[in-house]
Amino acid sequence: MTDEQYVVVRNDEEQYSIWPAGRTLPAGWHDAGFGGSKQECLDHIETVWTDMRPLSLRQGG
Amino acid sequence: MSGRPSLAGPTVVDAILERARAVPDAVAVAQWDEEITYAELVRRAALLASRLRALGVRPETPVGICLERRPAMVVAVLGVLLSGGCYVPLDPGGPRLRLRDMAADAGLDIVVCDPAGAEAVGEAMGDAALRRLAVPGANEPAEVDPAAAPACPAAPDNLAYLLYTSGSTGRPKGVAVTHGNVMTFVTAWAAISGADETTRALAAASLGFDVAVLDQLVPLAVGATVLLVGDVDRTDPARLRRFIAEHRVNWGFLTPAVLSLLDPAALPGWRTVMCGAESVPAELINRWATPGRRFIHAYGPTETTVAATAVEVTAPQVAPVPIGYPLPGYRCHVVDERLRPVEPGVEGELVIGGPAVARGYIGRPATTAGVFVPDPFSGEPGARLYRTGDMARYTQDGQVVFLGRRDGQVKIRGQRIEVGEIAAVLQEHPRVTQAAVEAVPRPGGGLELVAFLTPEDAPDDVEYAASRLTAAMLPGRVLRLRELPVNASGKVDRARLRELADADRPAGDVPEGTTTTERALAAIWRRLGIGADFFAGGGDSITAMRLVAAVRDELGLDVTVDDVFAGRTLPEIATRFDKAARRTEPELARGNPPTLAPPQRRLWFMDQLAPEAAPYNIALAQRLRGPLDRDALRAALRAVAERHDVLRWRIRQTAGVPYAVCEPPSDVDLPVVDLSAYGPAERDARLRTLLAAGAAAPLDLAAAAPWRAWLYTLAPDEHVLALTLHHAVFDGWSVDVLYTDLAAAYAAGVADRTADLPPLRASYADYAVWRAERDLRDGAADLAWWSEHLRDAPTVLDLPRDRPRPAEQTYRGAQACLALPAETDAAVRGLAADLGATPAGVLLAGLGRLLHRLTGSADHVIGAVVADRRVAAFDDLVGFFIDMVPLRLRSDDEADFATQVRRATRELMDVAAHPAAPLERVVEELGIARDPSRAPLTQVMFNVLNLTEPRLDLPGLRGEEIDVDKPGSPFDLTVYVMERGGGFEVEFLYNPDLFDAARVDAMLADYANVVGALAANPAAPAGAVALPERLSPEAAPGAMRVAEPTAAPLPPVGAGTAATEELIAAIWREVLERDGFSPDDNFFDIGGNSLALAAVHARLCARLGRDLRMVDLFRYPNIRTLAAHLDAQADDTGGTTEAVNPEIARAASRAEARRNRTRRPRRAPSTTGQENDHE
Repeated sequence: MTDEQYVVVRNDEEQYSIWPAGRTLPAGWHDAGFGGSKQECLDHIETVWTDMRPLSLRQGG
Repeated sequence: MSGRPSLAGPTVVDAILERARAVPDAVAVAQWDEEITYAELVRRAALLASRLRALGVRPETPVGICLERRPAMVVAVLGVLLSGGCYVPLDPGGPRLRLRDMAADAGLDIVVCDPAGAEAVGEAMGDAALRRLAVPGANEPAEVDPAAAPACPAAPDNLAYLLYTSGSTGRPKGVAVTHGNVMTFVTAWAAISGADETTRALAAASLGFDVAVLDQLVPLAVGATVLLVGDVDRTDPARLRRFIAEHRVNWGFLTPAVLSLLDPAALPGWRTVMCGAESVPAELINRWATPGRRFIHAYGPTETTVAATAVEVTAPQVAPVPIGYPLPGYRCHVVDERLRPVEPGVEGELVIGGPAVARGYIGRPATTAGVFVPDPFSGEPGARLYRTGDMARYTQDGQVVFLGRRDGQVKIRGQRIEVGEIAAVLQEHPRVTQAAVEAVPRPGGGLELVAFLTPEDAPDDVEYAASRLTAAMLPGRVLRLRELPVNASGKVDRARLRELADADRPAGDVPEGTTTTERALAAIWRRLGIGADFFAGGGDSITAMRLVAAVRDELGLDVTVDDVFAGRTLPEIATRFDKAARRTEPELARGNPPTLAPPQRRLWFMDQLAPEAAPYNIALAQRLRGPLDRDALRAALRAVAERHDVLRWRIRQTAGVPYAVCEPPSDVDLPVVDLSAYGPAERDARLRTLLAAGAAAPLDLAAAAPWRAWLYTLAPDEHVLALTLHHAVFDGWSVDVLYTDLAAAYAAGVADRTADLPPLRASYADYAVWRAERDLRDGAADLAWWSEHLRDAPTVLDLPRDRPRPAEQTYRGAQACLALPAETDAAVRGLAADLGATPAGVLLAGLGRLLHRLTGSADHVIGAVVADRRVAAFDDLVGFFIDMVPLRLRSDDEADFATQVRRATRELMDVAAHPAAPLERVVEELGIARDPSRAPLTQVMFNVLNLTEPRLDLPGLRGEEIDVDKPGSPFDLTVYVMERGGGFEVEFLYNPDLFDAARVDAMLADYANVVGALAANPAAPAGAVALPERLSPEAAPGAMRVAEPTAAPLPPVGAGTAATEELIAAIWREVLERDGFSPDDNFFDIGGNSLALAAVHARLCARLGRDLRMVDLFRYPNIRTLAAHLDAQADDTGGTTEAVNPEIARAASRAEARRNRTRRPRRAPSTTGQENDHE
């Protein structure tokens, strides 16, 4: 239970989050190709989500 | 709504500029004689904005605001927003290190400040830090034409402000809120609060608190006047009252701590009162929600922009006050840990979606990703939800009830406690103005509750609340204060309260006694090593239970642990013991619709598993001598069913999920069987047979009443009333309740009057709801305790037997009984008294030694029952208030028996103290493989029946209990201990498919011998005490195995077709809501439990169009073997594989289609949860 597996997910605005592995992802979210424990996933996000502005904002500005 | 024009967008700045054009001369901001019109506000803000832009501020650029609370602060806010940047409030009075950390974290380069702000910034970061800018003055010539100033360049997705909230790690984190977020909130709040141009808005919130958005930006967006309270007026209740009155405030938000300092009668013009941000006591609402005044109760985390729910409340309110409905545009869901909605009434985490969900925490990707999660509910692609960490439930009418933060809870004496709830109750005293409660560490370990009451002449103890709070919730100390300390954001300063509590700690000394009870109690007290105050002196719940057990045994007093908790000091506890005072009542939600409690679900499941057996029937029979009025008896039976609605419940199911409904009252069938024509011997034999048959006939919980009654006529003035009740609606305690109520109703009927029973204080459904909340609150902690307690414990107890264990449990029952010999009886009582233990503890320790002797193992898990009637209001109820708990019994050859008795007694108390994790969850947590041949985890039960012998006292009749043969054995063996005629009797209820009667008789004798020998030699190592020769034999040859099933043998693995396997897999996916298991995975290893199994069973039956035995799903717990079994069964029932497979294939494709449909579920905010959300 404590080591439930998660995957790193990302939406079209390139906002990251985590989602329980094996559960259907809500629309507009995509598997970012990293899985592990909750903490591992969050640690991964800490390194890859370098610009927290939504993508449309980054492209527009 | 109400024809109000929608706000001009897209940002709140646009709305304010539009208002300024419409009402340029209206006062936008005022503070005493300082007023700023809308025209001036915009002119100065535009000037500031142009200067900021000149410094390079663009959308997403953070700009600090470090100003005193003067009208210029509002100019600064609008100026920063107009420049396109986002503002970062810095409190000039705030801790300097915190200011520095925030500035660094936000990446601040520019700050708008006044002299006080400049000083603060300088002290925090050095005089050279940050580029500083003043707010343009009222008469400052503009270097640009404000009218020509460019509009706000920020897009809705750009940031409007960063607000720092205290992180649990101690490092503040900045919530990044966008213009889109702000506009969503401002639009919603303007509508909810009815703000318009006539609004005179109180602005009391610190800029660093997001209520400032509510009290500054909402009024400005509608052209109202912001009445900005200065620092001095804000921190003094008398000055605040004067400010509100003199400024003719008619609309305003205050935190409950501040609002409670004011007198509503002194502020009649304040017509719209808004309150929230911390739990609002019902008493406060009742005081303020007077006629002509609107009281809006609001709730919301900063992460979803100020407020997420609100409701206009009216007096009277009772705690907990609902926090209302989601604001327009906000979506609230109450979910379980896996983000699945729970049903209304069930506690879960509150999560919030919609356009007000903030961007995240600035510079904290991981923290953001952890709590801003994909939104599976909205259907809006890429949407996110904020997980609040707040516990809540939905009411049936769609309001949210806030139940506290998980991490804000304290655990006192094993109970998780909301201090806010206690404060709400304390505050109801007429002489209490404000109340707060804090849990502070005791020097001896643990926490104690301290109450803080204002004013200084408030009551000096909180005994008055004893009728509303459980003993554990009652603060032991009271500090009376002139007013509660308040921190910068207007909330009660809890750190300061804890300091006050520490400074006030009393000293204690050893108690002596004066009265007889006191002296006796003092002896026990000292033995247990307790100081002057029970709790301050080191007592805890376990010590309390030991004290009570000792007092019960040694002083013969029927006392409760509550007496100890409430009394606290020796004289006070002794007084309570002398009075045998009633217990206190905690708050109970009443009037709940039929709701199943977890033990009921477990029994319902057992019924599905073995529909033809009835091991959970409870049979009662009373011989009634004297003239019986049958009509009165019938009427009394009906009256009892009317009074106890659980006796009219039906337990039905939808797709394998059980639920309860209640039938309206009706006459109770009372068939009369006349046996009076038979001779005495024949008559008694027939009676016994009939009683046994009546006891053993299954009660169909879905279709009929959960109980039945019969009347047997033995002679004109001798009858037997027999009742069979399903355990799911009844327990041992209920017998006395039922008989008492039946007698009262009968007496009334005979006298031709109505029964005058006091009204019930709760219903069984109220218990189920109370329990669900308790279990949710404490379940995780209790489950952790169980899992630690049972670590590495054996999960199977196989006693030597005479026959192989049937492959499926048969639930057949037989019984044998033995009275303990007088000297054994005396030794048991003597030892218990010597040790301050109970006889049950002695007999349990003896059972441990017997099991050791029979199996050779020194570590066993057996079952015990614990009554969950923990609230006095449940005492009068008929119902199933029993939990079965696993009890770990270790036997030690080296230790003396006295030690083992103490351990057993302790074990009995320990297992009773963790009721929030029902057996089903413990079994699941331990990952115990399901085996249809035996009960999971506990195969031997120990049950002490310490209730008085029930007697039905009907007027003019003499009642006498008759033993009825038990209808079946839910376990391999149940050891009942009861007192009959002053001595202990032991009864073994066993399954004759496992044991012969001769063996059971021998085991009974062995038990009595072991107990007798050890109780007489309590000080010698138990292994060295000479025991009488063992009478029960070793296992019969070949008996210690599981018999081959009589049903079809397991088909070869892989014999099932792919279509069948896919059908099962599809149903598993639906029920377990997961993917990624293989056909060889065990259902129970991938998240399945008994109730999920019932859901799978129901769906399989429905889609295959035939009945399947639920027990087969246990026998074939993976897809591969179950598919093979189903296909083989289909062959057996006459179909050919070819004929059956198309049916399965169609079912499988329907299942797949359903699954695809449910991938994007659309749910209303108060969705009732999926069918398979159990537990």
